[in-house]
Amino acid sequence: MAEKADVWQGTLALMILKTLETLGPLHGYGIARRIEQTSANHLSVNYGTLYPSLLKLEQEGYIASEWGVSENNRKAKFYRLTRAGRKQVEKEAREWERTTAIVARFLWPGEPSR
Amino acid sequence: MRALRAFALRLGGLFAGSRRDREIADELASHLQLHIDDNIRAGMSPDAARRDALIALGGVEATKERYRDQRGLPMLDTLRQDLVYAARVLRRNPGFTCTAILTLALGVGVNTAIFSVVDAVLLRPLPFPAADRLVMIFATNIKSGDTTDVASHPDYLDWSKARGFERMGAFAGGGMTVTGTGDAEFVSGLRVSPTLFDTVGVNPALGRGFTLDEQNPGAPRVVVLSDGFWKRQYGGAAGAIGRELRVNDAPYTIVGVMPPGFHVSSNAAEQLYIPLTIDPSRNHGFLRVIGRLRPGVTTAEAQAEMQVVTGQIARAFPKSNENVRATVIPLLDAMAATVRTGLFILIGVVALVLLIACTNVASLTLARGAARQRELAVRAALGAGRGRIARQLLTESLLLALAGGGVGLVVGSWTARGLVAILSTSFPVPRIDGTHTDAWVLGFTLVLALATGVIFGVVPALSSASPDLTDAMREASRSTTGARAPRLRSGLVILETALALVLLAGAGVLLKTFATLRSTPPGFQSDHLLAADLRLPQPRFALQADRERFYDAVLSRLRGTPGVRSAAFVADLPLNGGSDGLGFHIVGRPDPAPGKSFEAGFNVASADYFRTMEIPVRAGREFTDADRAGTPGVIVVNETAAKRFWPGQSPLGQRIALPRETRVPTANHERDGDSDADAVILTVVGVTGDVRHEGLAVPPRPEIFVNAMQSELPWPWSVLAVRTVADPESLIATVKETARAADRNVPLIRINTMDRILTRATAAPRVYATLLGAFASLALALAAVGLYGLVSYTVSQRTHEMGIRLALGAERTEIVQLVLRGGLALAGIGAVIGVAVAFATTRLLSGLTAGVQPSDPLTFAIVTVVLMAAAMIASYLPARRAARVDPMTALRTE
Repeated sequence: MAEKADVWQGTLALMILKTLETLGPLHGYGIARRIEQTSANHLSVNYGTLYPSLLKLEQEGYIASEWGVSENNRKAKFYRLTRAGRKQVEKEAREWERTTAIVARFLWPGEPSR
Repeated sequence: MRALRAFALRLGGLFAGSRRDREIADELASHLQLHIDDNIRAGMSPDAARRDALIALGGVEATKERYRDQRGLPMLDTLRQDLVYAARVLRRNPGFTCTAILTLALGVGVNTAIFSVVDAVLLRPLPFPAADRLVMIFATNIKSGDTTDVASHPDYLDWSKARGFERMGAFAGGGMTVTGTGDAEFVSGLRVSPTLFDTVGVNPALGRGFTLDEQNPGAPRVVVLSDGFWKRQYGGAAGAIGRELRVNDAPYTIVGVMPPGFHVSSNAAEQLYIPLTIDPSRNHGFLRVIGRLRPGVTTAEAQAEMQVVTGQIARAFPKSNENVRATVIPLLDAMAATVRTGLFILIGVVALVLLIACTNVASLTLARGAARQRELAVRAALGAGRGRIARQLLTESLLLALAGGGVGLVVGSWTARGLVAILSTSFPVPRIDGTHTDAWVLGFTLVLALATGVIFGVVPALSSASPDLTDAMREASRSTTGARAPRLRSGLVILETALALVLLAGAGVLLKTFATLRSTPPGFQSDHLLAADLRLPQPRFALQADRERFYDAVLSRLRGTPGVRSAAFVADLPLNGGSDGLGFHIVGRPDPAPGKSFEAGFNVASADYFRTMEIPVRAGREFTDADRAGTPGVIVVNETAAKRFWPGQSPLGQRIALPRETRVPTANHERDGDSDADAVILTVVGVTGDVRHEGLAVPPRPEIFVNAMQSELPWPWSVLAVRTVADPESLIATVKETARAADRNVPLIRINTMDRILTRATAAPRVYATLLGAFASLALALAAVGLYGLVSYTVSQRTHEMGIRLALGAERTEIVQLVLRGGLALAGIGAVIGVAVAFATTRLLSGLTAGVQPSDPLTFAIVTVVLMAAAMIASYLPARRAARVDPMTALRTE
C-alpha cells in the first residue's frame, strides 16, 4: 500500500517529523526555518509544498495540530508528533540510513561504509 | 491502512467547505506574520520586512490550491462542484426541472413497466434444467395451416425416434374428477408419457415417476401429485405415498410427488399426473409433445429432421397423415405464444413514448441553453474550457435523467401493477404473476435513464459548449435576434408530433376493431343466459344410456324450476374455446374429390338448444325430446352449411353419411346399401341461423349439429345452457344445486353468464385498445407540451417584434393568427409524416387480435383532427399571451 512518493516529498516529510521529534510542538514557519538552518541554508523550503505536506502527514495520523500562541505572542497553528509519528521517524530514519549506505557503496566502492 | 485513513479523510475533505478554506488562510497569515516579526528583529524596516516575507511565501493562492487538492480528491471535487452547481441551477428553474423530470419519469416509467412484464413472461428462463434445449413439437395441418395442432399417440411415438432429440415426452391436458371426499372436485391434471418428467429434467421430490409398463392399458392405476395438491390434501405427509386416491371414479395408488412450483401446462398449474395410455389410432390427436434437443442441435435442424420424419409417416399412412407435418418451437416461445406479439408491440409503443419524452426534454434543454447563452459566454470569457462547460451541461442532464429515472421507477411499478391487473383478468398470460421489480428491472431503468440522459444531454451540450463570445454578449443586450423558432427544436417538435400521431392511429385502429366486434351480432341472444361447464367422468358415463339419464335428470329438473325459461346441453358453446370439425359424405352425391369428404364444423346439442340460445330456426325444426336413441338419426345444419352443401335447394330431408370410424352418432341408423356398410346415415331436419362460433371476427363456418341423445361419442365435456326469466346471476346457485342433485359425482367446473363470455371474446381488442389508447394519450400530451414550450419560447423571443407590430397598428387577432400559424405548421408537417408512417405500420396490429382493419382512412382522419386540436390548444395559449403584449413595455425591454 506504500505510495511511491517522489524523493523530495518523502525527504521533506522525514525532515518535518525529525524536526518535531527534536524540538517538540512547532508551527509551520518554525519548521521551515529549522530545516533551512539545519541544512546550513543549503535548502530553501517551498511553502507551496510545506503546508500540503503537513496536511498529508496529519491525514496519515503521524502528526496532530492545534492552534496556540507563539513565543512572541502570535497566534499560530502548532504541530506535534503523535505516537504513530514517533514510530514512523524511527522507521524512516532506518530506511534512509539503509538507502544512503547502499548508494554510498555505489559511489565509493571499496571504502568502508561510513 | 494509513493510505486508507488518508483517503477517507480526503473523501470527507470534499465536503469540508469554507471553514477549512478559512483555516489555511489563517495559517498562511500567521506564517507571514511570524516571518515579518523575524525580519524586523533582524533589523529590517517594517515595509522591507513585509515585502521580503511575501516574496519568500510565494503565491498564496497557488499554495491554497495545492493545499485544497491535498485536502480533497481533485477529480471528485470537480464532479462535486458540477453536481452542486447543477442542482442549484435546476432548483432555480423549478418549472423547467419539474417538467423535464415528470416527462422523463413518464417515459422511463412506462418502459420499466412493460419491461418488468416482458421480463417475467418472456425473458426469465423456464424453471427446468437446460431449458433452452426444450422445444414444443406441434402437429401441423398443411391443409388448414394450423401450426399448433395436437398429435396422435402413434405419431408421437414415431416422432420420438428422430435423432436430433435426446428425449421426447407427451402430455394431454384436461381435467380430472377427484371423488371420495364430499362433492366431486374437478382439478386440472395431465396424462403424461413415462418420459415426460425425464424430458423436462425434473424428478419427483418424493417417490417415483411412471414406468414404461404403466402406459399399457390395464396396468395398475398410479398417480403422481403436484406439491400443491399434496400439501392441501395430505398436509405434506410422506405417508401419502402408497395411499389410494379416487380419480375419475377409479382407485389410483399415489406413487410420487413433484417438487414445489413444478408445472408443465402454461396457464393453470396442474394438480395431478396419471400415465398416458397407449392409443393406437392415428385419427385423433390429443397430445402436446415436448422434446429435449441434443446439445448443439438447433431448432431449425430439428425442424428439418421432423419434416423428413413426418413426410415418411405421411407416405406410410396417407389416409390419416397426408396433411400432418410438425412444427418445432422453443418451449418458452410456445408457452408465451398468445401474448408475444402483444408484448412486442407494447415494447415498440412505449419506446416511442420514451423517444417523445426525450425529444421533449432535449427541446426544453435547448431552449434553456439559448437562454443561458450569456451565462455560458461569461464563464467561457473567464477561462472555462469548452470541455469543462460541456461537462457541466452533461452533468445537469445526467442529474435530470437520474431524478427522472428515480421517479420513473415509482411510475413504473404502479403502471406494472395496473398492466398485470388488466392483462391477467382479461386473458391468460403465463407467468405474469412473476412480475416484480427485481435487479434486472432496476438495472434496466438505470441504464435507460442514463442513456436518455446522454441522448438528450449531448445535443444541447455540444451546441452550447462553444458559444461565440462576442455574439452571445451582444445578443444578450438585444432581444430581437433569433426571432424564428430554432431549426433543431422545430425538427424535434415535428418528430414528436409525428410519433404521437402514429400511436394515436394505432389506438384508433384498435378501438375501431373493438367497436366493430362489439356491434357484431354473435347469432344468439347473450342476455339472460347462463352457461355451466360440466364434465362427465369417463368410465361412469361411457355408455350412451348413462349420459342420457343424466341429461334427462338435469333438464327435467331445470324445466320445472321457476325463473328458468328453457335449458339444454351442448358440447361446444360458441365463443367458449371449444370447436371440432367433421368429414362426411352426402348421400346420392359424389365426394368433392375421390377419397375426400366434405368438411364442416361439428357440434352435439340436446333438445331445445336453439330455443335456449335464441338461435333462429330458418327452416324445418330443431331437436325435440322425441329425438332419442332408437328414433331415426337427425341433424340440424346452419345456414352457411345449407348454402355451401345444398346450394339452390332445401337441405331438409337430405341425408349425410358419417364414416363409422369417427364413431359419432349411431342412433337407429339406416344402413346405406351403396356405400360402406359401416357408415351412419343422418337426415337433415332443420336449418338454423349462423353463429359466430370461433370468434366474433371469424366468419361463421358451416356447422352440423348431431343430437346429444343419439351420439355414441363418449363426450366428457358438456355445457349446460340455461335461459332465465330474470337476472341470470340470481340463478347460478340454483343451477349448481340442480346439477349436484342429479349426480353429485359430476363436477361443475365453472358457471358464467353468456354476457361475460361475450365480453371475454372481445377482451384482446379491448385490452390492447385501452393500453395503446393510454400510451397514445400520454404521447399526445407530451407532444402538446413540447409544442407549447417551443411556441412560448418563440413568442418570448419575439416580444419586441410583437410590440412594434402592435404599435404600428396590427390587430391583436392578427398576432394570434401569426403565432397560431407557426405552431400549427409544425404540427401539420408532423401529422403528414405521422400518417405516412401509420399507413406503413398499423398492419402490425393484425397480429394482436383478429378483425383488425389497418390503414382505415376514417380512423386516420379522426386522429389527425384530434392531434391538430391538441396542437391548436398548445399554440393558442402562448398566442393569446403574445397578443396581450403591451407595446410600451415590449419596446422598453431594451
